Amino acid sequence: MKITLLLVAIMLSSFLGFGQISIKGRVLDKNDGQGLPGVNIVIKGTSQGTVSDIEGGYSLEAVAESAVLVISYVGYVTQEVTVSGKTNYSIELVSDVKSLEEVVVIGYGTSTVKELTGAISRVSGKDIEARNPVRLDQALQGQTAGVQISTASGSPGGSSNIRIRGLGSNGNNNPLILVDGIIYSVEGLNALNPSDIESVNVLKDASASIYGVLAGNGVIVVTTKQGKKGGKPSIEFSGYVGLQETTKKLDLLNARQYAVLKNEMFGSAGQVVPFLNPDLGNGTDWQDAVFQRAPMQNYNLNLTGGTDKSSYSIGGSYLSQKGIVGGDKASFERYNVRINFSTDLTSKIKLQSILLFTNEFRATLPEYRNVFSNDGQPGIGSVLYNTINASPAASIRQPDGSFTKLNEFLDVINPLAQIENTYNWSKANKFVGKEEVSYNINSNFDLTGRFGYDYSNFPSKTFSPIVDYGLNKPQNATFSSVQQTEQTSFSYNVDFYLNYNRTFNELHKVKGTAGFVRSQNYYKGLFTTGFDIPNNSWEFADISLANLTGLKNGGVGSGEVQSRLQSVFIRGEYAYKEKYLFSALARRDVSSKFGRDNISGYFPAVSAAWVASSESFFKIDFIQFMKVRASFGVAGSDRIGEFRYRAFLGGEGVYPFGDQLINGVAIGRAGNSSLRWEKNIQTNIGIDLTTLKGKLDVSIDYFTKKTSDLLFEPETSALLGTYGAGGAPPIINGGDVKNTGIELQLNYTNQVTSDFSYNVNFNATKIKNEVTQTPVGVDFISYGSFGIGGERATRFQRGLPIGAFYGFKTEGVYQTSQEVTERGVNQQNASRGDLRYVDQDGNKTINFGDNSDKVLLGSAIPDVILGLNTGAKYKGIDFSVSFYSSIGNSILRNFERQAPLANMLAYRIGRWTGEGSTNENPRLTNGESRNNVYSDYFVEDASYLRIRNIQLGYLLPASLINKIGAKKLRFYIAVNNLATFTKYRGFDPDFNSGDALLGGVDFGAYPQARTYMVGFNLNF
Amino acid sequence: MKIKFTKLAVILTLILAIASCDSFVEIDPYYAQDADSYFNNSDDYSKALTGAYDLLQTSYLDLFIGEIASDNSIAGGESVTDSEGLHQIDAMTHGGVNVELRNLFRWMYTGITRVNYIYEFKDKVAFDGKNKILAEAAFLRAFYYFQLVKFFGDVPLVIDKRLGASAVPQQARTAAADVYAQIEKDLLFASSNLGWTALEKGRVTKGAALALLGKVYLYQNKFDQAASTLDQVINQGQYSLFAEYDKLFLVVNESSSETVFDVQYVGSEGGGFGCFVCLEGFLAPGFQGVRGYSGPIYAAGFSYNLPTKDLVDEFEANDVRKNASILDIEAFKKINPAVKYTVGAGGHTGFYNNKYIKRQDQLGLQDQNLTSPVNHKIIRYADVLLMAAEAHNRKANANNQLALQYVNQVRARAKLPAISKSGADLTTAIYRERRVEFAGEGLRFFDLVRTGQAASKIVGFQTGKNELFPIPQAEIDLANAGWIQNKGYN
Repeated sequence: MKITLLLVAIMLSSFLGFGQISIKGRVLDKNDGQGLPGVNIVIKGTSQGTVSDIEGGYSLEAVAESAVLVISYVGYVTQEVTVSGKTNYSIELVSDVKSLEEVVVIGYGTSTVKELTGAISRVSGKDIEARNPVRLDQALQGQTAGVQISTASGSPGGSSNIRIRGLGSNGNNNPLILVDGIIYSVEGLNALNPSDIESVNVLKDASASIYGVLAGNGVIVVTTKQGKKGGKPSIEFSGYVGLQETTKKLDLLNARQYAVLKNEMFGSAGQVVPFLNPDLGNGTDWQDAVFQRAPMQNYNLNLTGGTDKSSYSIGGSYLSQKGIVGGDKASFERYNVRINFSTDLTSKIKLQSILLFTNEFRATLPEYRNVFSNDGQPGIGSVLYNTINASPAASIRQPDGSFTKLNEFLDVINPLAQIENTYNWSKANKFVGKEEVSYNINSNFDLTGRFGYDYSNFPSKTFSPIVDYGLNKPQNATFSSVQQTEQTSFSYNVDFYLNYNRTFNELHKVKGTAGFVRSQNYYKGLFTTGFDIPNNSWEFADISLANLTGLKNGGVGSGEVQSRLQSVFIRGEYAYKEKYLFSALARRDVSSKFGRDNISGYFPAVSAAWVASSESFFKIDFIQFMKVRASFGVAGSDRIGEFRYRAFLGGEGVYPFGDQLINGVAIGRAGNSSLRWEKNIQTNIGIDLTTLKGKLDVSIDYFTKKTSDLLFEPETSALLGTYGAGGAPPIINGGDVKNTGIELQLNYTNQVTSDFSYNVNFNATKIKNEVTQTPVGVDFISYGSFGIGGERATRFQRGLPIGAFYGFKTEGVYQTSQEVTERGVNQQNASRGDLRYVDQDGNKTINFGDNSDKVLLGSAIPDVILGLNTGAKYKGIDFSVSFYSSIGNSILRNFERQAPLANMLAYRIGRWTGEGSTNENPRLTNGESRNNVYSDYFVEDASYLRIRNIQLGYLLPASLINKIGAKKLRFYIAVNNLATFTKYRGFDPDFNSGDALLGGVDFGAYPQARTYMVGFNLNF
Repeated sequence: MKIKFTKLAVILTLILAIASCDSFVEIDPYYAQDADSYFNNSDDYSKALTGAYDLLQTSYLDLFIGEIASDNSIAGGESVTDSEGLHQIDAMTHGGVNVELRNLFRWMYTGITRVNYIYEFKDKVAFDGKNKILAEAAFLRAFYYFQLVKFFGDVPLVIDKRLGASAVPQQARTAAADVYAQIEKDLLFASSNLGWTALEKGRVTKGAALALLGKVYLYQNKFDQAASTLDQVINQGQYSLFAEYDKLFLVVNESSSETVFDVQYVGSEGGGFGCFVCLEGFLAPGFQGVRGYSGPIYAAGFSYNLPTKDLVDEFEANDVRKNASILDIEAFKKINPAVKYTVGAGGHTGFYNNKYIKRQDQLGLQDQNLTSPVNHKIIRYADVLLMAAEAHNRKANANNQLALQYVNQVRARAKLPAISKSGADLTTAIYRERRVEFAGEGLRFFDLVRTGQAASKIVGFQTGKNELFPIPQAEIDLANAGWIQNKGYN
């Protein structure tokens, strides 16, 4: 009752103009005294306000005595002015360079953009949420310089490759990802709802050394949303529904073209042609049959708020995504609940408690099946590989309704039958959280202790029914089996650290950090395979019903490992007048992964910065802020399996005696007692500028990153005897890699009028990757294979980028028989119409049996990556578009089966058919030819430009939505991956397998989808 | 305030005390056997021996290369880039980069290392029957080294110990004669500690050791020793020729009296293309099967290692071995009109290896192309007889009478009339007899090389070069021990 009365009184008072005056004045830029147009002037606590005119002038009627004016303008510090008698208020706004005060997480402490001495990029949660990603990494692409994101698989729940400042290692290049101080794996990012993210900080240079042996590949620090003390409860509900489709279909031969070309291939080899009547029409478009439009949807509900002592952010989300190939058989679903709660236990002690629970479900189709690969590398056999190579002359189904068996191939199977007979799911249940207590000892010291944990359980099930895909297919199953796994991991970290912060005489700012961390990872897995499933049916596919006897390939397995890490670190920071900034840190790690003589590693780093614009002699008016930075430091990597320094009897030694398989014992992986961490030495020089009255921020960084003692599992001499079943070479430290690069980051924000603003973010990264040292005695190591049992595709070789494509170079097509004979170079099996290989060593022979004529053909590592993100707002309408471009990366087209009856891409129509017909594509023949030898003919430039995200939103007027009691309601439509411009003939030029050594070998990977979305954000 | 600081000091001291202790990370793995603390009872030795046997099951390479390199067969397969290494060997254009040769080199040394591991710890525990284990191990080491010396000539001889990575650069190539000396030593030890009969099917016997020793002597042209050693096997009477040659290579007859030494295979485990060395079945029959086949008896395979017309023409009329060794697919199709098959672009001769071929009634579990249960016969009694014949014929003091008697035993089983020759004519006849008797069994190339006939029989064969295969270039690099590549391959 009392409250109602009060409200009535307030309303009446404003109505009657009780004690009110009119005021006016001008808003000026303090720097140059010019009037500022379009400045918002609002009376605090009301919606009453105005906007300055072109001269900066403004006037306000009926302003209460002692009212507070809030004057805000993009790029300037917001000011408050209390009305006190006068009627004219001239207001001078200070150019803000607002972003300089943004908090940046630097590891066991924070800093501001202004004080930062290292190369750390910050991406706000808003920028991530705006892209509606399923996973954080998808939204990071093109957002910040120095971070390259490529896609290993576009399937729902598939992961990206996150590379900070290039490929530093030939092994694991994943950065350290910390979410609220807890380590996440790249795969584990599936558990994180991108809408929960407050900010992402990327530690790119030696400042990452505070994480020591974990930091060699850079560090990504993610903080999730927290509530605010004293904030009223606020509910945000958001969601979108989307429809996905493939970004591309390959240009394949139709049935008629196929029949004509196949007849030519057989005929030219003197074989019976397969199609007597090649007029088969269009035939089957396998891509149309395999690709589908697939829905996705996502909803988030979040409650934030606080009392005077506590704050909270509690949320839940649901996401469901079906696959554009396979639908339900390649899908992802995530339920996620998060509680982020902070409270002051006493005036000095604060507790922060975070708990995240995620339940994930993922179904997958074969993407890398080792059908014909006997080198342990990803092989051919994905659904899309089969789709590409299946005969367009074959129907999908036979008249009786069963799937057609593609008998004309050995290994290419009907992709729709493959989808139907694939049953493969995995789940994850994750509890991730932390309890953190910080004790404010006094105004200078804070002590923080925290316990972070991640308990996860990963069950999975794969059912392989009895299936006959056709004559003699390796994928045929004559018995059914079900494979079930139960895996559990538990990792925790205990951190204690002390922060010191004090400013002496308002000149000397001193900060210090010292801490201690213990962490442990524990893993246990149990794997079972059972056979002869009742009714050959998914409904009965469970170990409980399966036959567990017999020695069929499989059986029961288990594994249990742990690893431990213990660290101490110290960091000192000193700033003089906020002009001269210094930082030095050191960390000592001991890791269980290395031999007893090498368990410890020391990681120091130093950095300094000079804020030139704060000098009195700095008179460049158009530059509001300028800072020069430099850093140098050492970080490491221990990304190898557990106990790799020891030799175990893990080999397989099985032999039949009396026709019964007898299990013996054999040497497994060889040990290496001198195994130690991989070492990174990083140097960074950077400059930060703010200009155009604070509207434009520019950062330029030059860096070198030298990785030495690469953790390697290279091939070793046969004499070590580790190439039996279950054996493996020892892991060694061998080889160095150097990354050198330049990064440019531009942020431009302009509030043109109060109604219209826009921003442009542009970033560019140029990186040169070079192997500078190979393991002792070896000039290069080659990896992968082209086609089936073919040539090695890539190399780790001094002077080349990691995983460079290396093979024969072609120089056109032999036009005449005369050319073949008169060339003076002996090329085995050559005849007119064949590819003409370059005789690199000049010995007048193309040496197919050795390496002497092979050269560098390209690299999967792009020369330059570019990101352009722009946005504009006009009244309630917002529009944004993001572009991403990768230039100079190559991909090996390894999804073409090259078999006599396999379908082909349409470029083959332009084959050589006679003298002068083409100098590009060789003739088609089943006869003996060397046209399918691994060469630059199959390595393509996969540079591309992609419109990553385009979005149009509309914020409903407050007057309208207040009626339904909401604070904000926005609707939007968006498209992800709207268009891609590339010459690459495969599905997705963004593909990278993630393996540094085989990154660009495309076996027909699952492409990313184009997604059309409609969504809303509703706040109460 | 003071109390607070004391508390704080205590906490900090505790943290520092914990932090300074590295033992937190000094942990041991769960459930793992260390290689250096093994060999604690007889069972440990016996299991390690099983592990050493395992590498025998890579015998398909010896079979393929021994035929494809010779005038007996072509590589075949889907295309000339399908298993390109075999096509290069077929064309005699092979060099230091060859997947198949590298695999052979690696796998043989893996087998040797597994034997050496047993020998490294041979004195650790005493128990009854140890000599028998050591004898079987010695046989295996001899066999693996024999493969290496046969393919590559001089190879580093490592015995009785495992090598660490740092020891590899000190391993020079050992002269072939010295490698042969070690092989002979191992085989003599094996033969004197093994019995004529095996307690379990699959274990090597005294007969196997002596027959292999005889072969090793023959490869060194030590005819006297070869003759006497092989005579020992023959005179023991343990073995005899199996009457029906056309059924000799079937699973049901794999333990016949003719088998002296064979590699055991079973089809009960299944397997995949991801790991050939893991297979428990024999992959040669599937690979040598008829491509795209449907029809009776046989099953579809990959059309590798296809016999040449030259080989087919070598058989005399009425030789029962011809149809048993060669499948003439068109002739077969005439009798069985339902037969369908396709042709690979890797080459086609119309003939298939009928000894090791995918048959409907001899399939292993999936992938059926890889898991044939058929054992691979390495030394048959017929080989013992023909080797003995050759040794007696070629030795300084020739015994052509005995040689003829041996040859005619083999011919009689093939339903062929006896021959009567001596001297060089007999030598030629024995060589010819070997070709048809062992057609498709992987012996031909090495027989041609050791008898000096290769250059005249194999197109593209360069004397002074192709007698040996090149050491895999990658192995030369990795060893970093200054190995010089075999002549002609640089």
